[in-house]
Formats: sequence, structure tokens, C-alpha cells
Amino acid sequence: MAESFAIEGVGLTRRFGGFTALDSVRIAVPDGEIRGLIGPNGAGKSTLIDVLSGRADDWHGTVRLRGEDISAFTVQERRRGGLARSFQKTNIFPELAVREQLEIASWRAESPNVDEVLHEMGLAGIAHMRAADVSYGDRRRLDLALALIGRPTVLLLDEPAAGLSMRESVALAELLRDLASRWKVTVLLVEHDMEVVFSICDRITVLHLGRVLAEGAPDEIRKIPEVVTAYLGSTVE
Amino acid sequence: MLLQILNGLVYGGLLYILAVGLVLIFGLRRVVNFAHGSLFMVGAYVGYAIATYFGNFWVGLAVSVAVLAALGVFLDAIVFRPLQREDPIVTVLVTFGILLVLEDAVRTIWGKDFLSLKPPEALAGTVQILGESFPTYRLFVIVLAAAVAIGLSLWLRMSRIGLFVRASSVDRTTTAILGVNTDRVSIIVVAAGAALAGLSGTVSAPLLALSPSMGSFILIDSFIVVVVGGLGSFSGAFFAALIIGQLHNFGVVYVPSAATMIPFLLMVGILIWRPAGFAGQHV
Amino acid sequence: MSQPSERIALPATPILARVSRQVWLAIGIAIVAGSMLPLAVTSTLAITLLTQAVIGGILATAVGLVIRQTGLVSFGHAAFFGLAGYFIALPAKHGLWPLELSIVLAIAMPTLLAFLLGLVIVRIPGVAFSMLTLAIGQAFHEFAVRARLATGGDDGLAITLPRTVFGVATEVFQRPQTMFVICWVALVGVLFGLHLLVRSRFGRVTTAIRENEERARFLGYQTVVPRALTFAISALIGAIAGTLFALYNGFVSPESLHWSLSGSALIMAIVGGTRLLWGPALGAVVYFFFKDVAGDLTEHWPAMIGLMLIAVTVALPMGISGALTKLLDRIRPAGVRRDG
Repeated sequence: MAESFAIEGVGLTRRFGGFTALDSVRIAVPDGEIRGLIGPNGAGKSTLIDVLSGRADDWHGTVRLRGEDISAFTVQERRRGGLARSFQKTNIFPELAVREQLEIASWRAESPNVDEVLHEMGLAGIAHMRAADVSYGDRRRLDLALALIGRPTVLLLDEPAAGLSMRESVALAELLRDLASRWKVTVLLVEHDMEVVFSICDRITVLHLGRVLAEGAPDEIRKIPEVVTAYLGSTVE
Repeated sequence: MLLQILNGLVYGGLLYILAVGLVLIFGLRRVVNFAHGSLFMVGAYVGYAIATYFGNFWVGLAVSVAVLAALGVFLDAIVFRPLQREDPIVTVLVTFGILLVLEDAVRTIWGKDFLSLKPPEALAGTVQILGESFPTYRLFVIVLAAAVAIGLSLWLRMSRIGLFVRASSVDRTTTAILGVNTDRVSIIVVAAGAALAGLSGTVSAPLLALSPSMGSFILIDSFIVVVVGGLGSFSGAFFAALIIGQLHNFGVVYVPSAATMIPFLLMVGILIWRPAGFAGQHV
Repeated sequence: MSQPSERIALPATPILARVSRQVWLAIGIAIVAGSMLPLAVTSTLAITLLTQAVIGGILATAVGLVIRQTGLVSFGHAAFFGLAGYFIALPAKHGLWPLELSIVLAIAMPTLLAFLLGLVIVRIPGVAFSMLTLAIGQAFHEFAVRARLATGGDDGLAITLPRTVFGVATEVFQRPQTMFVICWVALVGVLFGLHLLVRSRFGRVTTAIRENEERARFLGYQTVVPRALTFAISALIGAIAGTLFALYNGFVSPESLHWSLSGSALIMAIVGGTRLLWGPALGAVVYFFFKDVAGDLTEHWPAMIGLMLIAVTVALPMGISGALTKLLDRIRPAGVRRDG
């Protein structure tokens, strides 16, 4: 295909000792798509996000951002290129106030949009509070908010709904879908919460043991027997 | 020349015995015991006091080792174990504080002035080595260090606790999961580490002048030995002590400024290259 | 794609304009009170001790800064302190260049050294960093002791000052009353400078890096250079202390490089508390109080300092300054978040 993808990984391989986390994985997400990435624990989802975001070392393959090869780019350079990510294990600045850390994030962004993000993520009310003092759900949203500063073009999200209540997850999903369309962001979303995945994703990639097992629209994925038995039966841990 | 090398072995031997105690403590508790030099000092003074009182060096040595072992148990119980889960720097600072307290205690009891202890009668003479006279006591120190090295090596390889020590040094978490009572093993090991410090201290008393600051002197050198030898490595500590001991001696005589910088530069280099041992294994 | 810029944009409003009135007032009072002190305290001995305490306070502030902004604990800051002293003593001994230049170099060179060193060592985590600074500091000490021909070894070097420096008579440095004021003003100046620093973008970014270095990188920040710069700034402050010390005592020796000096400064910083910028200076006051005042009442000041260090480390992480502030906040609910 001649089109270039918003984010693309080709031949991604990563091994620790004898264990193969990723085995020649190919993933290509077109502009504006919300792609879900599912699979059981150990399937390689987080590793894939780590490789695409520059967090991993010791991997092979190629990563392209809008057609440009960013495989050798540092984390900072990728961020500059518009690639942002959130973290499975909440990765914020505990002692700093919510607004403070978003401001710090905004200084490295081309379009500082602290107030916009505070508003969109529902954090305006606690903007002055220390991150360590706010609720878990708020911290999760802050983790995501930090990635949204500067309106990234590609967003890699690693289980943003982890630990959130049903209600919060649904709200988050809607928020993501809304933002993605308004801001024209391409999203690659790792999630265990199938409600979230199936409600907002345009397409889904299924990983198993470091390989792509299946890829397609949610309805198609739902029907594949292997996927159904192995993964859709499992619930959030 | 031979004498130079032998003298280097003497200091290296003292250093080894002390440093291996540090390695034991670090291996188990993953903490840098800043008070280790003070333990050395306390060992020297206790040995001095008992030996002088009873007129017998060996009694002094035995009591000193026992006292230090007890002190080690005490330290493990009130410092190392409770602070395990904190940032390692907390233990460093607390043991630093203990260093100050111990130095003051010693100064209060025995005063600031240099004290000296005579070597035991049996070892007071000299021996002939390849035509040169060498003090018997110094030879004793070298032999003792070798004995400690061999004894330790055997203990680590053959005994159950030795096995646990080696396992813990490599992987604490798994060892704990396997049901080894790490805390109980730690008490024994820390006591052993402290006892070795006491041994080194008392044995050094006839060679060095006793002063409340003698611990600080040797502390840095023992840190260098432990780091250069590779954190947690017993054989590494052995070879490092050997080298540092020689450098110390040669340095004093031949190439003052350069030689004494080498141990520090080595330590710096290794810490930069491989800080891994210190990177901490936070629970 | 271009290289990410390492420079952090300056804030829009001039930073001095944003200093609160309270702070200006505090500075004013501090300088006036300090200047009046020699008039009130007539004992030369007391003034001398106070001057030493202030110099110690400046060094402690340097150590505290590193802890506050990077979370790293330095056991080797005496290196910058002593190095500054030798940069004054050596050129004076050999008549190389005027004292003015020596003072500039005494402050600039340790700073530069610290920056270059920092680029390498700030990446090294936790206790390893501390051990490293300990070793580096001692290496300098060893060198000073061994290189007798150059440095005078253990005997140290005397410093003969010219009649004037920067147009000021040098005897002001040697007279306790005037020197106290100079050192005090220096301390206040340093604290004010740090006050501006931590509020600046640079200061806020380094705080964030300290909080979560990884996320800071993912936000696009280079994390090594800012920390190395912070380390360099703390060396600068340590060098200022060392310069003042050398000018005051007219003498420098390897003791100025010994790890026990680094250790004392560290204790002052921890006991005083590093969260507030003036905490370490308070710690210095406490330290010298125990050493020189209570010292007559109890010769066990080292043990007391040791116990205090243990107590603070384990039970009072904010140090004495933090505890005091908390106490004051309870009495007077200010609502203003004070962070030095």
C-alpha cells in the first residue's frame, strides 16, 4: 500500500534471554484510527507499546511515524514528533500539584493547552492539589492528561482504565473517542476492559505469545473462535 | 623488596578481614554499613582493654570478637532489619550517625591519645624468610587472613547457611520465597561480619596506634576494597584487598601521590561502569 | 527531525518582579539584623564562631540543594570547598596573578569541574552516587596530602593577601566583625538566589525530574544536563564558602578536603531539613551550637550530633526547619504553601 500510516511497526522482535516477548510483529495504524490491542498477560502488548514509544532497548525492527523512520530516535525526539504515551503503572509526579505538572509538560509542547486538558479530563477542580493527595481515578486521568498536553498526533495508551470503576471506564472511553475525533489523534490502546475496547475501537489487533493472532473490525474479531475462547472469556484481573 | 611485598600483605590482610565483613553485611541486608570502621575501632579498643586487664592478648582477642558479634546482632535488630524497606540511603545516614556515637563513646572511655598494644609474647620475635628478618606477628596476620579466606570459602560452600548467604547475595527475593528465614540468617551473618571487624581491629592493635579516628581511616579503604572487588563478591574482596594493600605500601615508599590515588580512581571507575550492585533492590 | 532543544524558555514576567513582598522584607530584615550583630555581640570569639557557622551554613546549603533538587546525597562536597581554597592559596604563593583573578577562578573552576563530573555521575543511582562522591572527595584529599611539593601537604599553605582586592581593603576579610557581615550577606544572597532558582522554570523542571525522571523524559525533557547544572550550582555555592574560609583564615590545608567536612555539612543539611532552602543553614547553627557552645557543657557533642542525625533521618524527615514550620503553621493557619 502506498499510504503511510500514522504509526507503524515492522518486524518488531524483542527477546530477554530465552524468552521471546515479540516475534516479528507488524502493526500499522492509519491516521485517525482508534486501534485496540488485546491479548492475555504476557502476550507482548506492553512490550509493543514500549518499543513503539522508545522505552525499550534491545529490540529489532523498524518503527515509523508518519512514514519517517524513528527507530533510532530518543524518547524526547519521539515526543517532539508528536508521539505521546500513558502508562499502565501510574507514572506521575506525586509531590507536584496537578496544574504544576501539566504546566511543566506544556513548556516542551508546541501548543501549550493546560487549561484545555484540565477541562477535558475533568481535573480542573483539583488542579491545585498535590497529585499524591487525589484519588486513584484522578491520578489515572492525570497520567493520561500529561500525554495529552500539546495535542499529540499519535497516542499510545497502556491500560488507561486499569483499576477504574465501571462507570469511570465508560466515561473514559467516551472521552477518548470524543477527543480522538475532535483533535484528530491516532490512538493505539492496550486494554483488558473489553467494554472499552469494543465500544470505541475502529479496529482491533490481537496479540498472542508475541505474535499477531488476528486483526480486524470488532465484529470480526468477536467471531474468531480462538480469540473468543481464549481472550474474550477472561475478565479484568 | 620481599619485605615490602610482605608488609603490603599485612595491611592487605587486615583490610581483607574487615572488608569481607562488609561484604557479608551488604550481601544480606543490601546496606552499606558506614559504622563498619567504628566496629573495627571498638574491636581494637575492647581487645586492648581486656588484654591489658588480663595481661593476655588472646583473651582480649576472644572477648573482643564475642563482644563485636553481640554488637552486630544488636545492630541488625535495631537498625538493619527495621530500615530494610526504606531507601538504602537512610541506613547509610543512620550508620553514619552510629559512627559518630561510637567514636565519642570510645573517646570518652579511653581518651584521645594514641594507645598501643604489645603483641603476644609467643609472636613477639622475628622469623627468617629468605635471609631477611620479618616480625613474627606480621607473619601471623598474613596467615590469619589466609585462614579467614579459606575458612570463609569453605563455610560458604559447605554449610547450609553459607548456601543461603550465597543465594541471598544473588537473589534475595527468590531466596525469601523459598522459605529461608532471611531475617534469622541475617542475624548470624551480620554478627559474623561484625565479629570479623572486631577480629581485624584487635589484631591490628599491635601494628597501628589506637585512636578514636582509626576507624574512619580504614573505612574508606574497606569501601574501596568492596567496590573494586565487586559488590557482594568474596573472592573479589580478597584480590582487591591484596592489590590495595600493595598499593598502600608501595605508594607510601615509592610513588606517593600517584599510587594513593589509584584505589580511589579504581573505585570511581567501577562505580561509573557498574553501579548495578548499588542500584538497590527495593522491595 | 531537528534535535530537541535543551534550553528551557525563560518565563514571560521578569523573575525579580514576581518575588513576594514577604521575601523582600525578610531579606531586608536579615541583612540589617546581621549587620548589627557585631555591634551587639562584643566577644571576638563569639563573632569568630558565628562567622564559621555562617560559612558552614553556606556549604551545608550547597549540599542541601543537591538533595532537594536531585534527591542525590553527596558525601564529597568538601572537594569544592577545599579546591576553592587552593585556587586562592597556590597562585598567591607563586605570585601568578592578582587575587581578583584567583577569587574568580576559585569559584568558577570547581563549578566547571562539578558540571563535567555531574554529566557522568548524576545518572548513577542512589547509594552508588554517594559512595562515588565520597571516593572523589577523598581522592582530592589524598592528592593534597601527598603532593607536598605543590600543596604543602598536611602542613597546608598560608595565604598572604595583598592590601586591596576589588578596591576593598583585604583586612575586612580578616577582621571578625566585618567578615561576619560579609559572610552573612553572602549567605543571604545565596539563599535569595536559590529562592529565585527553585521558582524558575529550571528549578521547577529539576524538581519534576527528581520526582519522576522517566516521565520527565517522556514529556520531552533532557534529564542529565539539568541535574548536572544543579550539581554545578551547588559546587559554586560550596566554592563560595571555601573562598570565604580561605580569605578569612589566610590558610588552607587538606582538612578542607576531608570527607569529615563533607559529612558535617551533610549532617547540617539533613538535621536542618532540606525541603526548605534555609533548612541547612539552620542545621549549621544547631551543629555549631552543639559543637562550640554546648561543647563546654557536654564534651559529647559528636555523639549528640550523631544521635540527632539518626533521629531526624528516621523520625523527622523534614528536619528541624520542617518541624518548626509545621508548628508555626498550626499556631498561625497561613494557608500559604511555604516551600522555601
